[in-house]
Amino acid sequence: MDFAKTMPVIWESLPFILGGITWTLSLVFGAMLLGLCLGIPLAVGQVYGTRTVRGFIGIYVWLFRGIPILVQLYLFYFGILAYLSQVPQLAGLGLDSAFLAALLVLGLTSAAYQSQIFRGSIQALPEGQLKAAQALGMTEAQAVRSIILPQALRLSIPGWSNEYSILLKDSALAFAIGVMEIMSRTRTVAALTHEPLPFALVAGVLFYLLTHMGIRALKTLERKVRIPGYARQGSMS
Amino acid sequence: MAKGSRFGVLAALVLCLAFSGPAWAERTLVNGIDFGFPPFGFVDTQGNPAGFDVDAVNWIADKKGFSVRHQPMDWDGIIPALNTNRIDFIASGMSITEERKKVVNFTIPYYEVTQVLVVNANETATFDEMFTTGKRIGVQRGTNTHTLLIDMAKEPGMNFEIVAYDSTDLSMQDLPIGRIHGSAMDSSIAREVKRGRPFKTVGTFDVPPDGYGYAVRKTDTELLNMLNEGLKKLMADPYWVELKQRWELE
Repeated sequence: MDFAKTMPVIWESLPFILGGITWTLSLVFGAMLLGLCLGIPLAVGQVYGTRTVRGFIGIYVWLFRGIPILVQLYLFYFGILAYLSQVPQLAGLGLDSAFLAALLVLGLTSAAYQSQIFRGSIQALPEGQLKAAQALGMTEAQAVRSIILPQALRLSIPGWSNEYSILLKDSALAFAIGVMEIMSRTRTVAALTHEPLPFALVAGVLFYLLTHMGIRALKTLERKVRIPGYARQGSMS
Repeated sequence: MAKGSRFGVLAALVLCLAFSGPAWAERTLVNGIDFGFPPFGFVDTQGNPAGFDVDAVNWIADKKGFSVRHQPMDWDGIIPALNTNRIDFIASGMSITEERKKVVNFTIPYYEVTQVLVVNANETATFDEMFTTGKRIGVQRGTNTHTLLIDMAKEPGMNFEIVAYDSTDLSMQDLPIGRIHGSAMDSSIAREVKRGRPFKTVGTFDVPPDGYGYAVRKTDTELLNMLNEGLKKLMADPYWVELKQRWELE
């Protein structure tokens, strides 16, 4: 690693590299949110659904957990979305954007993983709660919505911070389809100097800082919303 | 009144016809460039597209009266991006090869490069010995040079191992520490990676030089003709010499 030669270039290109944080975080937060919105119904369906519903959700989870992110990025960007953007009725929807492809891939994959986090949390709750709520006259849907989910979501936060750090690191793969996030930008500048290693280090430090800050924030959230005396064993540290 | 409005429609039609040139002239053409291939196409420290090809295309765009945007991309996805309409052409130090000609059309060649082997400055083996004594030769995956090495390895008497990397730069990390004994690449890159480092070129591969050309979709013949005209005009202009000097080519 030739730091003497690359330091000035790193310094000069720092604003450009840091600009990638916006793209990285947009990808991560967007995917977290998409994963949350899809993951909750998937989890509920997997626990309470009929056999057919459970079967379909099982296939979804199996597919998105089974195909590597990089492969999915190529399939979505050069395959599905490229095909859809040729349909005249869908033109103008921005379907040709690499960011959208990356967001969908990360979000749909995250939904598969998040659904398993939520499913675990739902199943960790005593079964009697549902029966008690029904005994009070609630329908199953009402009970799940107002008794089970509020507790399950709280229990999911530790699993969620895991998911955040994994998503953050997976988001670096979006460089492959040209999203200008942190990884793309450091690789770009590294090519100017023919010295890839110092720039890999810069990217590493940035990803570390983002991971650390995100996990700290989720820890704080966990502490704020916890139900006193009721937490999953070992979830608070 | 009715006559007047009909005249208006007719006038509008004539105007439309007068201003409707080829389809490409009405929109901004997108040029896909390799984000990391200095001095031909790259992104500078401020994040702006730059390089020999960027300047050349800007000149052509100016003379031919179209607007252009340079889109930096990962090299692996650049031909798929062209053929799925994400970009309109590729002007970024792309070698004209038979393989690529099957999926895209190329303009006339505007620059020639040879394939060379770069080794550590203290390497004692000759160019021929590098390929007959079981040495490890690095190369960027998927490049022309990679194909060349694969073909060479099949020839009788050859004895070397090909080590493929994601980029030439990565292979140059392994060369000084001895994981590989040489790295094969375009002469244009070789000059860049040797700058200020203890490497030398040990020899040039015995194959015809590659020409660089701009790539367009198979269907875009009109665009191809326009770019060819532009290139010919540029290469005949004094600006061409100035451009090559600016980017230290030749």
